[in-house]
Amino acid sequence: MTSADLALRNVRKSARDYAVYFMTLTFGICIFYVFNSLGSQQAVMDLSSAQSMTMRMLNSVVGSFSLFISVVLCFLIIYANGFLIKRRKKEFGVYLTLGMERERVSRILIWETVFMSLASLVAGLLLGIALAQGMAFVTASLLGVKISGFHFIFSAAAIGKTVVYFGLAFVLNLFFNVRQIGKQQLIDLIYAGRQNETSRAPRPLLAVLFFLLALILLGITYVMAAARLFDSALLLNFMLLVGAAGTFLFFFSLSGFLLAAVQRSKPYLRGLNMFVLRQLSSKINTTFVSMTIVCLMLFVSICALSSGLGMARGIAAELRGSAPYDATLILRAETEDGNERPVFAPGALDPALTRSGGADLTAFAAASRTAVFYDASDTGVVIEGPGGEKPALYLLGLTDYNAALAMQGAAPLVLGPDEYGVNFGSGSAGWDRALTKYCAGGGSLTLGGRDLRTRESLLRRQALEVSTRRNPDLVLVVPDELLAGRQAKKEILFINYSGSSLEYERLCLAALSEIKTASADGVELSGLIETKIQVNDYLGNTTVTIAYLAIYVGVVFLVASATVLAIGQLSEASDNTHRYRLLNKIGADERMLSRALFTQNLICFGAPLLLALAHSAVGIAVAGQITRKIAGIDISGTSAAAALVMTLIYGGYFLATYWSSRNMVVRG
Amino acid sequence: MILQAENLEKHYGGKNNLTKALNGVSFRVAAGEFLGVMGASGSGKTTLLNCVSTIDSVTSGRILIGGRDVTAMSGKTLARFRRETLGFIFQDFNLLDTLTGFENIALALTILRRPAQAIKGQVRDVAAVLGITDVLPKFPYQMSGGQRQRVAAARAIVTKPALVLADEPTGALDSQAARALLESFQELVRTRGATILMVTHDAFSASYCHRILFIRDGRVFRELARGNESRKVFFDQIIEVVSLLGGDGHDLR
Ligand SMILES: Nc1ncnc2c1ncn2[C@@H]1O[C@H](COP(=O)(O)OP(=O)(O)O)[C@@H](O)[C@H]1O
Ligand SMILES: [Mg+2]
Repeated sequence: MTSADLALRNVRKSARDYAVYFMTLTFGICIFYVFNSLGSQQAVMDLSSAQSMTMRMLNSVVGSFSLFISVVLCFLIIYANGFLIKRRKKEFGVYLTLGMERERVSRILIWETVFMSLASLVAGLLLGIALAQGMAFVTASLLGVKISGFHFIFSAAAIGKTVVYFGLAFVLNLFFNVRQIGKQQLIDLIYAGRQNETSRAPRPLLAVLFFLLALILLGITYVMAAARLFDSALLLNFMLLVGAAGTFLFFFSLSGFLLAAVQRSKPYLRGLNMFVLRQLSSKINTTFVSMTIVCLMLFVSICALSSGLGMARGIAAELRGSAPYDATLILRAETEDGNERPVFAPGALDPALTRSGGADLTAFAAASRTAVFYDASDTGVVIEGPGGEKPALYLLGLTDYNAALAMQGAAPLVLGPDEYGVNFGSGSAGWDRALTKYCAGGGSLTLGGRDLRTRESLLRRQALEVSTRRNPDLVLVVPDELLAGRQAKKEILFINYSGSSLEYERLCLAALSEIKTASADGVELSGLIETKIQVNDYLGNTTVTIAYLAIYVGVVFLVASATVLAIGQLSEASDNTHRYRLLNKIGADERMLSRALFTQNLICFGAPLLLALAHSAVGIAVAGQITRKIAGIDISGTSAAAALVMTLIYGGYFLATYWSSRNMVVRG
Repeated sequence: MILQAENLEKHYGGKNNLTKALNGVSFRVAAGEFLGVMGASGSGKTTLLNCVSTIDSVTSGRILIGGRDVTAMSGKTLARFRRETLGFIFQDFNLLDTLTGFENIALALTILRRPAQAIKGQVRDVAAVLGITDVLPKFPYQMSGGQRQRVAAARAIVTKPALVLADEPTGALDSQAARALLESFQELVRTRGATILMVTHDAFSASYCHRILFIRDGRVFRELARGNESRKVFFDQIIEVVSLLGGDGHDLR
């Protein structure tokens, strides 16, 4: 019998041992292929140029992340395989005692790995190709395009990439395998199953101390994060290091701490509780490392999923409101390099419109209107938003404001004598509170010798320009006559098309750039043209990219961590069958054994999840503050949803692991 | 009578390779009795013990323990019956290596859901009788073979079972440890009124029993009671029967 035959027989014989390994590989290959084949999906969709740019961008971002992802998957393969080898050591020992040379044993091992790798590569690619077909529809719906008819999506490039990356991972894995068997003494191989794992768990008192230390370290990390004490790279690295050390110590001392905490209490002497706890603490030297890794991977996964999806959704929600017109042209009283221009005559656009002559807005516009925004620096009004934010402040005449509202189809603002209104185009809760407070306080304003006041009902949240950026201006709406002689800062031309054809967009863009150039004639002004279609494309672009990246990273890390735990628990279950059988002999019934297994699995799966959730709660809260400040996006809502979905996937893994280990132990 | 076995049969395999591991075994054990079962290797001792202990089921026959027919019991009732009525001592792999001596003994009580406050005292009492108070905080790998076996014995009797079943408990012990274990069995029978059914291949161990059942080819071949004889005389009588049993003479395992 050749080594290859023997290896093939071994693979068949130990199918159950190989199942988890096989699943892990297949899953990793499948995900890797699906995301790397995203580029080929655009072939079957009717995409605008902006949309196909999205796909190109997505493809390149996913591509650069794939290296990182493949490192994670490579680690997973080596880890899963390590367990397998551990379980097969005895068998290899028997080959050696029977007089087989080490080279032959290594050859058998190489063949086994090759068979498994090829089988999982084929299975993973087939599964990936199938999944990619469904993924195309998801992408299409995210981009808002239709796929007409059925197209088979297949990416040779992605297949090539998958084969190369995983080929490397397999070779690396092979190297580890052969080395592991090669350096082992025969006696260790034969007695591998019986080796009594000497417990490296700390003594009870020490465990309690370590556990408290872990809590202190984690506390320091959380406080540093909450107080945002990580401005410098040094501080940030310090914080991450302390956090990682705290996590590590937490799992190192967890079972010892539980043991010390519970040992003297009554529940310890109930049912199989002490067996479960001892079981956990005896396995500590293998589990605390993997639990730490799992916890950190879960943390990455939760953060990626929740902030990624949250930002994607947040961008979608925020930007939709910021395209109140089909197009706007904004002229600012500043040069392109940001220097303020002292002279900016009100109505700059009107002469420009006249001068451009040929620009006939009526060819595409159903309605158009200009509004002039005036300097407010001398009013003395100071309104601080959340986090001390101070946006640009402008004065706008009531007539211009109401005309702008009318084009949006919004009700006009009505001012009483000596009153002014406040407009801020963002729905952010923090800003809402700040402004409501300001308006309720009356916010007295002296303008042209007149004292004006405002009230809560004069606060509006209307977006006044088409924009992809989320930094709206703060606008004080005052009676027109008070603006005479004031310096104009900015003028906006609002346009609504007469229909929804792309042709209007083309005409409009041409006309606006002509006007922009013409208005700059002699007077150097910065102009910004934005259209609703551009904004929505950009929106789709960003949303799809961020969402996919989040799902890619999040799901890979989530399933990777669940797999690490599942492999650990299953291999432990099969190592423990004799213990459970003994318990059964001395009278523990099936229900008791199942309960013990359940508790054991629950702690192994639950502890890393709980700590990861705590980590992410802090992490997301901080990240949320930052994204809110930078982009005005609130990610807390989706974070909860993402955590729920995640718990479902993770919970599925937990139940599957529990059921199969119960099958092994209780029924077996 | 604690135990009544009537006409036990246990068959292994199919039509063409049928093994009758038990072929009509009947015997009785009275309360407070220390009964030994001897026989050559493959004679059916372990099978008999497994059937009595409800770990295995008989092909035919009846086993009454404390008046209840265990052959008629099913799954859940069996596990319950086992933990409440029986105690086990096995030749090997009998302690959980992750638990201390104390915890190994206490386990039998916690499985029975005995109140936690009573457990400590009960474990200490049994440990004192068996002379293993010192090893209670130790893990099995820190104990000698004899200590381990006595911890197993303590676990078997701490629940005050109606019947203790032991399969070659001295098999893995040196003669000194074996003697200590057997003496503690006698002590248990005397002070706690335990009933013990012990399978052994070794005449020396058997000489500590009140009565011996010799098994050959799945049947009871002879029965020998110690009566008022000294252990030395009883030992000689056992050796005599053993030589009649045949096989390889001394190695009866
Ligand atoms: N599970 C089994 N399947 C088939 N035959 C068995 C099984 N267990 C025991 N036997 C057979 O039953 C007979 C009695 O075995 P056993 O009770 O283990 O003997 P002892 O313990 O006296 O050495 C032997 O011939 C043995 O081969
Ligand atoms: Mg036997």
